[in-house]
This record gives sequence, C-alpha cells and structure tokens, in this order.
Amino acid sequence: MTIVDGLKAAVLLFVAAIVQVSILTQIHVLHGVPDVLLVTLVAVALLRGAIVGAVGGFFAGLLVDTATLGQLGLTSLVLTVAGYWIGRYGETTGQDRAHAPFLSVGVVTILYGFGLLLVHFVLGEPAPAGAMLEGLVPAIVLNLVLTAPVYAVVRRLLRAFERSDVATEVQLLG
Amino acid sequence: MLASSAQRKSERRPPRGRSAALRRAVLAVLVLGALALLTISFRSPTSGALHDAQGYGASALRPFQVAATRVARPFRDAYGYVSSLTSAKSKNAKLHREVSYYQALALKNLAAAKENASLKRLLDYEQGPAYPKDYHAVNASVISFPSGPFDQQITISAGSNRGLRVNTPIVSADGLVGRVTNVGRVTATVALLTDPDSVVAARDLTTKVFGLIRHGQGNTLILDQVAKDEVVNRGDVIVTQGTRDRRYPDLYPYGIPVGQVISVGTSDIATYRTVQVAPFAKLTGLDAVAALIPTKASKLP
Repeated sequence: MTIVDGLKAAVLLFVAAIVQVSILTQIHVLHGVPDVLLVTLVAVALLRGAIVGAVGGFFAGLLVDTATLGQLGLTSLVLTVAGYWIGRYGETTGQDRAHAPFLSVGVVTILYGFGLLLVHFVLGEPAPAGAMLEGLVPAIVLNLVLTAPVYAVVRRLLRAFERSDVATEVQLLG
Repeated sequence: MLASSAQRKSERRPPRGRSAALRRAVLAVLVLGALALLTISFRSPTSGALHDAQGYGASALRPFQVAATRVARPFRDAYGYVSSLTSAKSKNAKLHREVSYYQALALKNLAAAKENASLKRLLDYEQGPAYPKDYHAVNASVISFPSGPFDQQITISAGSNRGLRVNTPIVSADGLVGRVTNVGRVTATVALLTDPDSVVAARDLTTKVFGLIRHGQGNTLILDQVAKDEVVNRGDVIVTQGTRDRRYPDLYPYGIPVGQVISVGTSDIATYRTVQVAPFAKLTGLDAVAALIPTKASKLP
C-alpha cells in the first residue's frame, strides 16, 4: 500500500464520517439508519486488508466520537475490531468473491449494532436492546443498498490488490 | 522457477510470521488505545485535556459538518416531502380515529356532566324540607327510556339488592315520576305517571281539594274525581295525598310535588271538573332518579 493509497483511504473515511454524522443520522427509515461510514470501512478493509481496516476503523471512530462529542474511544473500539475482522476476511476467504462486500456489510452491521450495545451496557449507559433490534433489519437493508455504489467508488479510487501483493510464499516440497 | 519467484517475493515482503505478528500488534495497540481513550473520557467526561482536545476537534470539524448539511439540505427536504406524502394517508386515518375517539369522549363527558347536574339537584331535593320523612333515598340512573308512545316505562339501575320493591315510589328533583312495577336484582322497571294504569291520590296544595292523578293527553296529567262545587285554580300546585288512614295506606308519602294546574274546565254533562295538570318531573328526559325506601319495614302496602 502506497502513501497515496493511504491518503485516499483517509479522505474516503473522513468524507464518509462527515456525511454520516451530518446527514445520514437524520434519515430514519422504519427505525433504521443507514451507515455509510461502516460500508466505506468495509470496502476499504476488503480492498486493503486487516491493518488498514483496523487503523481506518480506529480513526474513523475517533472522528465520529469527536464530531458528536460522544464518549471518545467507544466507536473507535468497535470499528477497529470490525475493520480488522473484515480485512482478514478480504485477505483470505473473501478474496475475489463478488458477494464478499454484501456478506461483510450484512454481518458487520449486525455485529456493529450488538458491539455498540455491549459497550454501552458495560459502561452502564442506557442500552436499549429493543430499539436497536427494531431498527436492525431496516439498517441491514439500507446498508446493503449502499454497498454496491460505495464499493464501486472505493474500488475505483483504491486499486485492487495485485495478485503479487496477496500471494503467499510458495514452498517447494521435496 | 517457482523457487526463484518465491525468493524474489520473500525479499520484498516480510516473512509470514512477521506479517501476522505485526498485524496482531497493530490491532492490540489500537484496541488498547481505544480502551485508554474510553477509560479517560469515561472518568472525566466534562473536563480534562482529552475533553479539551475533543472540543477543539469538534470545532475543527464543524465547518465540514455545516458544509455537508448545506449540501444535503435540498435532498433532505425532498426526502422529507416524499416521506410526508407517503405517511399522509396513514396519518389521516389515524387522525380520523382520534377524532372519533375524542368525539365519543366529549359526548360521554357531556352526558356525565348532565347526569351530575341531575344528581346534584336530586341531592338538594333529598336534603330539602320537602323530602318525605321516614324514607331514605336510593339514587339510580335511568338506563332505558320509553321505546314508544305505548310504552310509558323506564328502567333504572337499582333493584332488589338496594331495597327496591314493587310499588316503591320514584321521584326526581322536580317531583313524582312513578312507581316500581317490576324488580330485578340490580335493575327495576318504573311505570311513569303518564302510564295508562297509573293512579295517584293527590290534592291541591292551596285549596286542599282531593283527586286522582291519571294520564291525560300527550304528556299532561288529569286531576280526576274533582266535584264541580270544589275550587281548583289555574296555577295551583298538586302534591301527593299520602296515607290518611292507617288501615288504608297509600303507595306514596304525603307532599311529593306532582304538577301544576294548567287548565280547569267544566261541562254540563260531565260529573266532575276537567283539571289538566302539567307534571313537574320531565318524564321524557330523566337522567337520575331516587327511589323512596321506607325506613320502617312493611311500610308499603
């Protein structure tokens, strides 16, 4: 990964975070809220691997918590784990699979929701599981709708892994 | 060839074990960093260096947020417009349901207020000097009204469980209403003064002339059995006669207002005067009535 790629990923996540906190949090469809930041992070992590996913998740979460004056580190923690996990999936079994972004977004939306709920619960803050569950399915659908265009944009800006970047070493036996 | 290719790659890339260790180290550092931030901000949520830094960061991000909001405003307005259109139908139906509900509630409150006024007047009557002695009142609501011109009976919400019996007198705050003709456990049927079978011994309060109150034309009553030589004047008040001889007890106690004389007529061929009486009780619009229960047993015949 080059410095230019890193800058592009940073800009993408920054724009996604700003759009998320400024615009999309006001859009409620059947109690569900679309999360373009999560979808962008998934796309970046799938295309750039676990380390970029984790670092991107950490700073994107920090950005969100700063912009909303929320509990610093809370969103970072959840997005770091999500970015890392999706990055590992992209480096291994999800590589070159067309359904990988959609599957990742669907699963991560669920885990992200439960992760935030868990952290809030552990911190002793209000953790309304009913409200989260009520908006979960609409949120998954909305995020899946966002997946195709967001992934296409991210893929265009960040070139896909070259085969040589991801090929593991070949070991001759015998 | 494969070996040489692998050799070149291994020169450019870190070994697999190192790559995994680096990856895990980065994850661990980031998670620990997030936990550290979380701990610090949780312990001092409104003060401290981290809070100040967060404030500066938020200030720095504010222009971007404002710009994003301005860019998105037309789209958001369009979304709001479409969203309101799609929800207008369901909102309309919901509002219609609410209007129906509140209309019903308003009518119920109106009826309750009216009944309350009737009960208050009834209470005034029961505590007033005109209330007959040796009787206590059992208040009841009117739960059904005469169904037609041939039915001059009402049903009230009190029955044998509250001491009502057949022939128990029923009054309203204005005057005599009728008597009980049938008793259930919690309800009773009352024959109004305008019932064809109703007969009440009554007297003119001013001239002391005795007569029998029967039903007349329309909603009026007639004071019957008044001889031609006796004097009854228009405007005189008619009250119940009450028991005059213990051997022949009357159904009604003395002095319950029945009505007011509205006309007095005489004809050559008739034996008695024709005295028309307008009942005091509004027999067609009763809300609350009182049953007069004798305080002494077997007072009723």
